[in-house]
Amino acid sequence: MSKNNNASAGKQLLGFVRNNTVPIMFIIICAVFIPMSGRSPSYLLNEIITRMGRNLFLVLCLLFPIMAGMGLNFAMTLGAMGAEIAVILVADWQIWGIPGVVLAMILSIPFSMLLGLLCGAILNMAKGREMITSYIMNYFINGWYQLIVLYVMGSIIPIVHASIMLPRGYGIRNTVSLLNMRQCLDDLLAVRVGGVKIPVLTFLLVGLLCLFIVWFRRTKLGQDMRAVGQDMEVARAAGIKVERTRIISIVMSTVFAGFGMVIYLQNMGNLPTYTGHAQIGMFCIAALLVGGASVERASIGNAFLGVILFHLMFIVAPGAGAFITGDSMVGEYFRVFLSYGVITLALIMYEAKKRMVKSKAGQELAQAQKEEAE
Amino acid sequence: MKSRQIVFSLLLVAVLVAIAGCMLVIGRGHTVYFDNKTLEGYQGQDYKAFERVVVKVKGEEVAKLGKRERGMSIWIGQNFQMTLEITENKGDEPVVKEVSIKLPYSVDGIVVNLPAYLAGLPEEAWYTEFVPAVTKEPVEEDPTIGDDFGLGDELGLEGDGL
Repeated sequence: MSKNNNASAGKQLLGFVRNNTVPIMFIIICAVFIPMSGRSPSYLLNEIITRMGRNLFLVLCLLFPIMAGMGLNFAMTLGAMGAEIAVILVADWQIWGIPGVVLAMILSIPFSMLLGLLCGAILNMAKGREMITSYIMNYFINGWYQLIVLYVMGSIIPIVHASIMLPRGYGIRNTVSLLNMRQCLDDLLAVRVGGVKIPVLTFLLVGLLCLFIVWFRRTKLGQDMRAVGQDMEVARAAGIKVERTRIISIVMSTVFAGFGMVIYLQNMGNLPTYTGHAQIGMFCIAALLVGGASVERASIGNAFLGVILFHLMFIVAPGAGAFITGDSMVGEYFRVFLSYGVITLALIMYEAKKRMVKSKAGQELAQAQKEEAE
Repeated sequence: MKSRQIVFSLLLVAVLVAIAGCMLVIGRGHTVYFDNKTLEGYQGQDYKAFERVVVKVKGEEVAKLGKRERGMSIWIGQNFQMTLEITENKGDEPVVKEVSIKLPYSVDGIVVNLPAYLAGLPEEAWYTEFVPAVTKEPVEEDPTIGDDFGLGDELGLEGDGL
């Protein structure tokens, strides 16, 4: 009896480890790196809370396409680009503080929606290959974004302030200062607990998005999205407009990504015009995967755990690199290698799991046929 | 689309546009500069600079001005309010004055001549638009755009004319 119990407990543990390989790996890495980095607990806590406020909204917006079975939305960067255009305009119009943040969020909606619609329509044409298609869509739209900020802004779209415009008279500078918007959301209802600043308002916004996600899952559209995510053909047979539902999930993701990008930029206090959005998608996806999410399943908990672990690794890696090799750049390379590595690992695991399920089903079918023949 | 849905969508758009409009008005940022300088020869009269002026905006001291000095503060919105602690002559007791100035929406930087303003002169006497000095920028900024793959020179593609 106890042998059986031990065996089942062992199996459960093995199953748990197998299902949570990536978070366990990251917990071990962080546990090893933290003492090596020499950072104090209060510093780490402060940094983690700041980065949670900065990134959580962006990471949470990835949940909608996963719900609809479209995998990891690399095209969330499109929403970030829409937000950047909105932020440039708001900075030029000299709208500062919270009103500037709100205006940038509202302005980003049409850009993000338009790009989301385009992306959703294209992804519907590439069913089963959504991730690679959305990844390449980034480059396609990035080209248009560069064209707009480099040539259209200042020449066709009026830009008044020389501090934003390139000296040649059109195009936007490499960096746009958002000093008058810097951390206005984070500071508004901020509370200090033992030297750690907690940006209450930013966390409230994140909390609202979490509540929205929980509520949305229970709505008709949310249920439709989950049904489409499980099996498109069954959903279609049940009368769900599959294509429309998929487009809505992408539009929601890009619009929320736009909001998330505005929150991110107000925290940073400056906008790197040509590179700001480039790594956002990759890092948010890596953070979600680190939290134990997969291509087909992700939760709010995964987003929280992922941001904490991924950014903890980001904070301690340079110090640990310097401790091990004497060169902090090794830590920098290590964290970049890990973020790409974790995405690769997740994709491999997803594909392996899919094949395993397929072969298991095949074996069961063959067994059933064999039994029938006998 | 059902008519109820259309009405709801239009309402939502209208609300968002209204909020955006409000934000445009209440969020307009200005930089206000205060000069404690003598205004000479305005309608044949001089308005002398104060010995010392302490400027407080939202309860925070932003400038302590001696004669011929300039201070600045940023302000969001069009109703600029400040508190001035004015010492007119050496040895005098400072006088506290609450000042409220309506800022024009379209102007980024506004220079207020305090002696002229406090003397109750018309706007033309105390108000000037701040125009930043134009400095010639010798180096053209090179926006960092590339092919994102880091290729190019390393593969000799450019040299090969590919």
